[in-house]
Amino acid sequence: MTADLYATATGLVERSAAAYAAGVPEGARDNGFFGPASVTWRVNADLASPVAGLRSLLMQALHPLAMAGVDQHSGWRRDPVGRLAATSAYLATVTFGERTEAVRAATRVRRIHDRVRGTDAVTGQPYAAGDPGLLLWVHAALVDSVVAAASLVGTALAAGDSNSYVAEMVAAAELIGVPRPLVPSSVPELDLYIASVRPGLRCTPAAAESMAYLLDPPGLDEDTAEIWQDVRDAAVAALPRWARQMYGYSAPPLTPGRRTEIRQSLGVLDAMFLGQPGVLEARQRISLRMRAARSA
Amino acid sequence: MKLIRLLAAAMAGAAALVLRRRRRRTGRLRLDRARAALRLAARGGARSAGNAPRLFAAAGERRQQLREDLALQTAEDVVATLGAMKGVMMKIGQMASYVDDGLSPAVRHTLARLQDSVPPMSPELAAAVVEEELGVPPERAFGRWDPRPIAAASIGQVHRAVTLDGRAVAVKVQYPGIAETIAADLRNVALLRRMLRIAAPAQDADALLSEVRDRILEEVDYRREAASQRLLAAYYDGHPTIGVPGIITELSTRRIVVSELSGGARFAELATWPQHERDLAAETIYRFVFRSLYQVRAFNGDPHPGNYLFQRGGRVTFLDFGLVRHFSPAELQPLMQMARTICVEHDPEAFRRSLEDAGFLRSGAPISTQAIVEHLAVFYDTLREPGPLTITSEYASSVVRRFFDVRSPVAAYISVPRPYVILQRINLGLFAVLGELSATADWRAISEEIWPFVRGPAATPMGEAEAAWLARRHAAAA
Repeated sequence: MTADLYATATGLVERSAAAYAAGVPEGARDNGFFGPASVTWRVNADLASPVAGLRSLLMQALHPLAMAGVDQHSGWRRDPVGRLAATSAYLATVTFGERTEAVRAATRVRRIHDRVRGTDAVTGQPYAAGDPGLLLWVHAALVDSVVAAASLVGTALAAGDSNSYVAEMVAAAELIGVPRPLVPSSVPELDLYIASVRPGLRCTPAAAESMAYLLDPPGLDEDTAEIWQDVRDAAVAALPRWARQMYGYSAPPLTPGRRTEIRQSLGVLDAMFLGQPGVLEARQRISLRMRAARSA
Repeated sequence: MKLIRLLAAAMAGAAALVLRRRRRRTGRLRLDRARAALRLAARGGARSAGNAPRLFAAAGERRQQLREDLALQTAEDVVATLGAMKGVMMKIGQMASYVDDGLSPAVRHTLARLQDSVPPMSPELAAAVVEEELGVPPERAFGRWDPRPIAAASIGQVHRAVTLDGRAVAVKVQYPGIAETIAADLRNVALLRRMLRIAAPAQDADALLSEVRDRILEEVDYRREAASQRLLAAYYDGHPTIGVPGIITELSTRRIVVSELSGGARFAELATWPQHERDLAAETIYRFVFRSLYQVRAFNGDPHPGNYLFQRGGRVTFLDFGLVRHFSPAELQPLMQMARTICVEHDPEAFRRSLEDAGFLRSGAPISTQAIVEHLAVFYDTLREPGPLTITSEYASSVVRRFFDVRSPVAAYISVPRPYVILQRINLGLFAVLGELSATADWRAISEEIWPFVRGPAATPMGEAEAAWLARRHAAAA
């Protein structure tokens, strides 16, 4: 029933891959806000990235106002694929782009956010997409998910690297409009912040519908649906227990064998991504710069 | 959200394939694709320099760019690049291209990109593997060692060297950690089956699965390849036109195989030679394939143009024996039986029985013997009668087409038993190559020379030279 409200999940590939490839500049004049020596660049290449992406959407959707903004304004139901592709493009540019490009992309998104205002039907509260409180939640959910997904099915970050990553990503939050002092800059701060937001989180009907769509996107063929299942299982398993409970998901912990299987599926997905135009070249550009940074 | 975009990409190809399996399209497109694949292979051969034993890898036929600036520096780099199924995918792509009539363009493209994503080992890492295998660094194991690889292999790379006693050799060095990674990934049967469904939709995935796993596991142990090559090099020693580079046994290990360096023209260059030269080369290839099968009970599952080096007068050097299938006498017997009953004895009922005995045809199938013979006759067309016959691309394509023709009422009762899965490459590889060369010969008479159940007289000058070689062999053995 809910699936009928959404467009099918086809057609995303080309746009998203193009967005990623275009987000990685050729002959960059500066290292952007992170640079080749950063943990951010390293973790971005992790096979667990798709799991991190899905988990962060699951987390973000639990904020009723964040969910309402997406649901009521962004054409999310009409074109979910386009909405996700736009997010991919933005993140690639902020991560790998030159500073001016990152700032330009952020300015564009902030201008869009300015127009996104309304009242959440569930809580009756007004919202504005440019509200630093909402932006901070979206930011924190992403950062937390990248660390959690890497640790569950990717290459786990060392404690020091997790802290560095959280600290590096403060720049991304600031770009989108969160005042720097508000942004957690270490894992303990991040945990504290998430715990502080938790009482206001809940699974609204819009969140339940949107996430049901993402966990089982219509229009996938049998083979794809099987691989998707692995990503979904990992994303759900990587959620905090309370978040799973809000959605009503039951998920036994992943056995080591299951984790290996999921990693293998992620490798297949990654190979498919590599098959898209420009993706391999973009990765090679990143690798070469990371190498140069290491030997410098 | 990289996820969805990956999926969609992958599965655009997969969906098309699945659809194709259910509703076969006309032969025309498939034929063109098979030929295009071959031309691609030939171009690959033209580009590659040097005489490495393995210049091509997954999905066939595509020369990997040697991105030394991105060279893998540690075993961890290797695992990050080829782990999580990627190495396995490359091997499956390679094999699928041998058993199906060409991968879909989308899958082929993905595999090619995957292969491009694997850089060579750094000179230090390659040297470390050599040292681990031989106990001394390459500069001491060899008289001369070229630290720069000359070619990529699917799970390794090739270096030139000169042995301490002065022989020029090609040294294939395996990526460290790859064997363990691949072995672990091959345990994920569910995912393998899914990938085979995508890569080789015309095949029964379950039947293919164990064969593919066995062949991949064999291929990651270079001792196996060295043994196959040694066997064939010994058998063809002194042969007038067939060359198999010798193995330097004392320097070959699980992760290193050292063979003599050979020279010759690539397939694309052969295509520019006069027709009689092309005919001679084709005759040598034909003799090699069937003599190896019937006399050595070995079939090289990798007979694509990139693995041949040509010299004038029909001399062909055969390279790369990583995918050799050895047959037991019991496995070989039905194949001979089939050829004998249909081509020599002209006994359709006996032919049918031999098909059933081998497991190719379900016994008691409600199909007339005549229909069965008609369905399979195309495979024996070149052998029906003596006399010169030109193998055209059209013929090669019709063989391929018939093999994958699932619409025929006969097709429902035919399947390829596991030991013979790899032989499908005879149709897809050998005949495609001969067709591309427009090769003319008396294939029937040549086959009669080779068939153990006929042992016919020499049919060509090459046959006479071969007979003389055989006589010398026997004399030497006596």
